[in-house]
Amino acid sequence: MHELLLYGQVPLSRHDQVLKILAGVAAMQPRRVLERRIIYKPTREPEEPGAHLSRRGGTQNVVGAKPAKQSGARDLFYNQFVQKLSDGDFGHANGTHEPQEKALSAAVGPGEEPKWALEFQDMPDTGDRGVSIRATASTDLLSGDPHAWMIAAGPHQFVSEYYIEGHRFVHGNVVIFLYRLLHEPGVRSLETAPKVDLPAFSALQPFDPSGAYMLEAKVRVQDLNTPAVLENGVGQLKAFRQQMKGCVELELPDRLAMDTRVKYNAREAPPVRRPR
Amino acid sequence: MSDAASLTTVALRPWPAPTKDALSKEDLSAQIHQLTTERGHLRGITEKALQEEIDAGKSVPEDVMEGAETEPKKDAPAADERLKDIHRVRNEMHTKIEWAYFAAGNALNLVSLLLSRDPAKALDSGYTQMFREMNVPRGSFGIDRTVRIDDTQREEDSAKRRELVTKGSRMEALDWATDSLLQAATELETGIRKETKYWEEVLSISEKGWSLQRTRREARNAPFAVRYGLPEASNHFKARGLAPLRMNKDGGIILDSTLSLKPKTMRIRISENDKIVGTSHLPSQGGLGELAIEQSIQLARDSLFEEELFHEISMESRNLLAYGIELRNSVLHITTPALGGQSSHRKVLIDCASRDDNTLAGSDQSQHRLAQSIAEGLRLLLAHEHRMRLYRRSQVPPPLTQIKRQQPGPPLLRTLLGLFSHLTAADALHSYLNTLAKTLKSAGLDVWLDTSRDASWAKLTHSLEQSPMKDLSAIDQLLTLFTRPFDGTATISLPSTSGPQPENITIATRTFIGQPTFGAEHKISLPSSIIKVLDLEPDQSRQFKFPSTDEAQAYVDWILSLDIAHSVISKEYAGRVYSTDHEPRVSILSKGSMKNLAKEDSVLVLLEKGRLTVTATANTSLMTGTAGESFTWDGTPGKATLKNKVRSWIA
Repeated sequence: MHELLLYGQVPLSRHDQVLKILAGVAAMQPRRVLERRIIYKPTREPEEPGAHLSRRGGTQNVVGAKPAKQSGARDLFYNQFVQKLSDGDFGHANGTHEPQEKALSAAVGPGEEPKWALEFQDMPDTGDRGVSIRATASTDLLSGDPHAWMIAAGPHQFVSEYYIEGHRFVHGNVVIFLYRLLHEPGVRSLETAPKVDLPAFSALQPFDPSGAYMLEAKVRVQDLNTPAVLENGVGQLKAFRQQMKGCVELELPDRLAMDTRVKYNAREAPPVRRPR
Repeated sequence: MSDAASLTTVALRPWPAPTKDALSKEDLSAQIHQLTTERGHLRGITEKALQEEIDAGKSVPEDVMEGAETEPKKDAPAADERLKDIHRVRNEMHTKIEWAYFAAGNALNLVSLLLSRDPAKALDSGYTQMFREMNVPRGSFGIDRTVRIDDTQREEDSAKRRELVTKGSRMEALDWATDSLLQAATELETGIRKETKYWEEVLSISEKGWSLQRTRREARNAPFAVRYGLPEASNHFKARGLAPLRMNKDGGIILDSTLSLKPKTMRIRISENDKIVGTSHLPSQGGLGELAIEQSIQLARDSLFEEELFHEISMESRNLLAYGIELRNSVLHITTPALGGQSSHRKVLIDCASRDDNTLAGSDQSQHRLAQSIAEGLRLLLAHEHRMRLYRRSQVPPPLTQIKRQQPGPPLLRTLLGLFSHLTAADALHSYLNTLAKTLKSAGLDVWLDTSRDASWAKLTHSLEQSPMKDLSAIDQLLTLFTRPFDGTATISLPSTSGPQPENITIATRTFIGQPTFGAEHKISLPSSIIKVLDLEPDQSRQFKFPSTDEAQAYVDWILSLDIAHSVISKEYAGRVYSTDHEPRVSILSKGSMKNLAKEDSVLVLLEKGRLTVTATANTSLMTGTAGESFTWDGTPGKATLKNKVRSWIA
């Protein structure tokens, strides 16, 4: 599946107004969305860029042996869990939580919507169509402990978690999401696993101190093989941008800013001792 | 004037012709000849010589002067002066004569011009040449005798007059300004009154909850429009749901043509044997003239809704021809199975009629309630469809693909038909099962029966409370149940297995207009204990489907009679019973009372139309005739039980 995306920014003071305008544009009431996102990083270090080219220098291979198929450097990507939350899921500010020995659970009853999903987002395409296009994959989890599963599924390491608060609209095929990131200040670096008991909602602070909101306009396309479908999606997204002109300027995000690859960090070279 | 005085003494005489100036050729040569004779050759005549001569004063030629001037000859300088004098005087006289001529001409012109006012007089000849060339129009000059006023007085006068004129014009201007101000004031006042009235009405419309919007085009007199159409109506009807609020001369709101249409309503009529026995109608609202604007908006909204309802129904009816629905003369005819157990030929007629039209209501209104309920049900379903449209629209859409999603029309008639046929099928079956149970009970057979028309209706409140769909209101979840297949169940226990753990026959009635059942269908699930009677394999599916109620009833009859014959009676006479075929017939061997002859009685159990008939036939091989005894239970209590009866025959 592919996502066509445009982003805009809404300052805090204009949030309510934009919310009302969007409700009028989409002819529906906003739907409040609360999500927790948990980011995982593959523990294997990515290879040094270009390493695969010079890995086998020289021709000391055994003659006659088939040359091993040289594969390109595999990029490693961050993955994230998306947990749908409701207001009741958050802890209370005054009540002190006794530490309970319980694990995260993604189990849902029959007929209910899944609450947990594993989301993968590729780096945006290089094509220039006026909208950002990226491949995504989303897998719903129906049972089990997501964190344990993630650790077990591959060597992954918990990075951080943050919360998303916002409102969603649907306008034709355009999914409009007006949101901002929240995080729990201070504890981020100390955590090694996602919280089982959520903090109180009031304890969360906007990641952007000004409290500004982001406006995301998204059209999902099944595949990019049929140009007509893609054109249709791009057209709808651009029409929405045109419609919102003067209210919120929707722009093409910087491609590299949305890079989800794990960066290669060169190992620190051993300090070289200079002869005195 | 002095000139005129001097002129009086002048004698008018022709001026001597200037002979010097006009010398002909002969004259010139003659003169040259004369000069030659008088003074010698021309070469000798120089300026100097002549000057000397003049200075000497002698040689003025005597011939030059003619006539009377003889005296100056003697005195040369005096004569010269005299000549100059004469020339001067002559010039002077000439000038004065010219003046006189000119003045006389002017006077003549003036007089002629004055007189030329009279068209009878031809005075052109009186003009001078010059004046005639100026081409002054006739009569363009007048003259009158006036009293001469002093200049000072005249100035005063004109000043006064000027003042009067200024005052007058100023007054006039002020007057005009006042008028226009007054006019502007009145215009403003009417404008304000108009606006106030318009705004009051607009406000009252708005307060009643109608949504107002600015008109897109800057339409004159209609800054606002009211949107009364339902927001989720289908496109055509959504577009119709907007009416501009135009201002009339007084500021009141003119009813738009869309608002003043005659309100329509979907009318349901029940016809039995081509006689109308029930009509649905909405309460009439009276004429349009005496209605407030809000009421007419509401009427228009209702009418639009009803029209959309009828539109959707008639669109849907095209796919339902197989179910006996046809559109004739824009009236939908639905042939329904008889509701409520009546076997008359009943039809439901649906059409779109004027709301005020109640003339067609027949005298017989026995089915009025049914018609009204059908109408209300259809309205509820369309309103439900509207809310579901919003609900579907607000869900995150699936990714775009090449395949176009197509939203089928709302199931209105399908729901109605499904409900009809489900109720008919389930009720018929259940009432039959009830009579059956009663009959069996009266025959002393213990039968337990449980029926429910629809499984989901039975646990409605529970399922609503537990519903995971929090976005949908309860009414929508309730109505969603009706658009799903209907599931009725009936459970009847086998007479042979009465006790704490009875074996049950379960009859599920499933109705859906569409895939896969296309109507009502009964599915009978048999208990495992019936296997040996039916001679089925144990792992064989014990479910049988019957599309009609009659078949299902017959099958239940057959199964129950088999059970009675092969289980109930067999148990009573264990060891003496054998069956010859798969019919509900058993043969019971018993010792004959005489001659130790074996007596064989065949007992036939027959369940039919709720009546249980047991026939015992004595089949003695030696006897020729067949003696038969028969008894029928039809549910009336106080009869002997089956077992006793059979015992009485067999024993």
